[in-house]
Amino acid sequence: MLSHEPGDTLGHRLDPRTKLAVQAVVAAVALAHATPRWLLALTVVCLLALRGCGLSVPAALAEYRGVLPFLLVAPLLGALRLGPPWVDPAAAIDPLLSVYRTLLLLALAAAYVHTTPPRDSRAAVAWLLPGTVGRYCALGVSLVFRFLPLLQSDLRRLRAASWVRLGDERRVDRRVAHLAIGALARAFRRADALALALRARCLSWNPTPPALAFEWRDYAVLCVAAGIVAAAALSLTTR
Amino acid sequence: MSTDTEGVALVADEAVANVVRAALFAALTGVLSYVSFQLPVSPVPYTLQVLGVFLAGVFLGPTWGFASLALYVVAGAVGAPVYAYGASGVGQLFSPWGGYLWSYPFAAGLLGYVAHGRDGLTPTGEIPLWRLAAGLGGATVVIYAFGTVGYAVFAGVGLGAAVLAAAVPFVPGEILKGVVAALAARSDRLRAA
Repeated sequence: MLSHEPGDTLGHRLDPRTKLAVQAVVAAVALAHATPRWLLALTVVCLLALRGCGLSVPAALAEYRGVLPFLLVAPLLGALRLGPPWVDPAAAIDPLLSVYRTLLLLALAAAYVHTTPPRDSRAAVAWLLPGTVGRYCALGVSLVFRFLPLLQSDLRRLRAASWVRLGDERRVDRRVAHLAIGALARAFRRADALALALRARCLSWNPTPPALAFEWRDYAVLCVAAGIVAAAALSLTTR
Repeated sequence: MSTDTEGVALVADEAVANVVRAALFAALTGVLSYVSFQLPVSPVPYTLQVLGVFLAGVFLGPTWGFASLALYVVAGAVGAPVYAYGASGVGQLFSPWGGYLWSYPFAAGLLGYVAHGRDGLTPTGEIPLWRLAAGLGGATVVIYAFGTVGYAVFAGVGLGAAVLAAAVPFVPGEILKGVVAALAARSDRLRAA
């Protein structure tokens, strides 16, 4: 599963806001210019980013092996025709470029997740989103990170208990309802206990976040990102 | 976020409970996306992710249902492995299935609004069945409208092909998830929670 790995690469030392900005820039440019030339240029950016984060291309894509087969559906459907000649390879080019664009974005996302601890992500969210919305999201994101493994183990235990009682021989709707209701009951119990504990500890909207500060390397990366945006905008206006 | 050393803005008691429930439903939606099941009528393996959206709408209502799924989207974007098959990252929001992710907060909000109305939460066991059915139907339409358009835009295919790839194979699974959400709303075990 995709998760943060401690390290000392350039990616680990960059500010999370810089990494989010680079992802946003690459996504925007890739959406605006899904042409082979631009995608090639963005491939170089992504390869450099992966190298800077100490992640190989196969390792980054392996994180998404569950979703990769679904990407192949688009070019296949794009090429199919409902009448003769039935298959039109030229029509698969646009979906293929879109799929390639998605692969680039997924690789960058893997690099971000690999190098950024949840605590830094929380601080970046609070900085990026203004006011109470940002504070709510920051607090909620940290709770999601913390409770995801607990709810996963709850669900695993529920499924194991169901299997040993031959639950997998029941009808699928009863099986799913049993799982959903059990998972909900446990989630409610955990929520009530956690809410009580947080009230007892005087939960506040303004906790002390980890210090986020741009350094020279952040400015350098942001300058490159700004350069890419400027080139993309220039290309749009002269098109 | 600047560090505020002048005072402490405590979260009100009711808000604590709501924030915690919203976060736990966001996490639960993430956990349900790991669970897949097979229906005899279709070769597609269904995940239970959308069931999390339905449950958030039914149990949290319009405001906190929307807030919970917004949290799900933000948490996944910054690295929590909550999207389908444990994926995460900003890139997912612009992938062919990104339209579904954008739709979840709106679907949960709409379902909550139809099921509970504007004035506070109705106890889930007392929500009229027609309201539940209308809310679940509306939420499903929102999810597939966003999902299909997202697929067409981000995968670069026509709208017809997008409907075939991103909507038609999944309809039987959504019906089952709707039924399960309605059963959960009527469950005595959850009424006590």
